[in-house]
Amino acid sequence: MSAAAAPTILAIETSCDDTCAAVVTGDQIRSNVISSQGIHDRYGGVVPEVASRHHLELANVVVDDALARAGATLDDVDLVAVTQGPGLVGALLVGVATAKAIAAARGLPLASVDHLQGHVAANFLTTGDGPEDKPLEPPFLCLIASGGHTFLANVTEHDGFTVLGRTLDDAAGEAFDKGARMLGLPYPGGPHLEKLARDGDPSAFTFPTGRGVSGLDFSFAGLKTALLYKIRDLGGGSDPSALDDATRANLAAAYQHAIVESLARRCEQALAQSGTDRLAVGGGVAANGPLRDRLATLGVTLKVPPRALCTDNAAMIASAARFVPPHPFPEYLAMDAYATGERGL
Amino acid sequence: MTTLLAFDTATPATAVALLGEGAERELRHDPAPGERPGHAAQLLPLAHRLLAEAGLTFADLDRIAVGTGPGTFTGLRIGVATARALAQAASAELTGVSTLQALAAAAAAQAPDGRVLAVLDARRGEAFTALYEHGAELSPPAAVTPGILATMARADALAVGDGAVRFRDVLAPSGIGVPADGDPLHRVSALALARLAASAPASVDAAVTPDYVRVPDAELTRRRKEEAAAS
Ligand SMILES: [Zn+2]
Repeated sequence: MSAAAAPTILAIETSCDDTCAAVVTGDQIRSNVISSQGIHDRYGGVVPEVASRHHLELANVVVDDALARAGATLDDVDLVAVTQGPGLVGALLVGVATAKAIAAARGLPLASVDHLQGHVAANFLTTGDGPEDKPLEPPFLCLIASGGHTFLANVTEHDGFTVLGRTLDDAAGEAFDKGARMLGLPYPGGPHLEKLARDGDPSAFTFPTGRGVSGLDFSFAGLKTALLYKIRDLGGGSDPSALDDATRANLAAAYQHAIVESLARRCEQALAQSGTDRLAVGGGVAANGPLRDRLATLGVTLKVPPRALCTDNAAMIASAARFVPPHPFPEYLAMDAYATGERGL
Repeated sequence: MTTLLAFDTATPATAVALLGEGAERELRHDPAPGERPGHAAQLLPLAHRLLAEAGLTFADLDRIAVGTGPGTFTGLRIGVATARALAQAASAELTGVSTLQALAAAAAAQAPDGRVLAVLDARRGEAFTALYEHGAELSPPAAVTPGILATMARADALAVGDGAVRFRDVLAPSGIGVPADGDPLHRVSALALARLAASAPASVDAAVTPDYVRVPDAELTRRRKEEAAAS
């Protein structure tokens, strides 16, 4: 499909706390606007009602901005796409209502996209001029790890995937955030914990890596508890500032190492089982340096899209929309959002 | 004459009206007892039906009017997001109208001196309420306890809305009139909202925001913690 003949897609994503809109033509990203709300830091996590209010404030602005940055108007749009779920229903509904109304006003078709399929489809976009920036074609394995989801997928088609493993409790990004909080670091904890860990020794402590979990599933709840006890044992109690900087750095490094190892080992197992030699990574945790370094040692073709395509964004939703059958006007007018998808993720 | 589409999603009902070019019609969805509000699934299909019956499309709309509450948070957002996006994509004007004011406007003709206490069920044992006289706001929308609601009620007014039904016993001692439970005056009329919007000036898109009245619970908790830490 040549870029000239490919439809231009306006996509909207509001499943969590980022208000996103993008314009994509074929596999070319023309704009990818992400408005991170920031406000949730003060609550120590995403508050659904607060997120939903901000989505409403930002939705139209973000859409206008995405069109302007793409040098496009609604006249150029052939298809509207929106995340239907899974996610926070109140947040999703702002995007769904906005997308439906834009499409209806223009008599355009609408594509409803699964958020997780969107993360996988981030790999189907061109992100630059280099050979590593080309779309990754199935089949490949895909690890998605963020504050909201952690799963390992076998991607054999553009329009779907099978789940090979999933977290049984916390998401990997959640493990980062909770560990960071225990170490007295601000929210969102992932980047802060990674920074603190740079000065630490990952072998100073040993934390569980989910080895006891069967199959290709993940578990991070035990790790979190282990850190809590370790801080207590070291005399930190509930106040991590009682620990010296070196100990905190060592704890951060060892804790991060455990998350990275549990993710990387499952990828290694899955690659061996499937015989595939290509691995893609997405979700906010994909930005973690040690994880990228560790996955690079697996000896397979590793695809990590740019950070803006790993965290929640609308370009990935547009990308997924290219491969789902769109609903013609007016068939989508009654469309609702869903909290949990068919895969139970 | 302009073609105006008005809707309200502040209560469990979804009410939609079309005004203009000889059209003056309302369609609504009132959930059955125990049924969840159907805002997301009902709003645009009802609007599309009204337009189709009038031989119009969404692109033909000159003005969109939306009830800004107060009311259910998610319902308000579905209404306001839909209104803003329709206005944006159809290049139509946008007007926000207080849901309480729309309630009061529909009842004014039957109220003593046009005085209406509009009352909506705010859940949690509270009411959203405001007092109007011939459409003019005498007291601004607020979330109040039954105790406060009782003090706002007066014999020379009419109380309407699902909150007036819910708090009938609280209102009764004041001597305020409350129509029978099933009276249409207790339901938010999208046509009443449309008529108010037809004579109102158009707003800047971003100025049409829900009147939540209440702050999110998490924000209340955070403020309490802050105050506790400060004292
Ligand atoms: Zn996500």
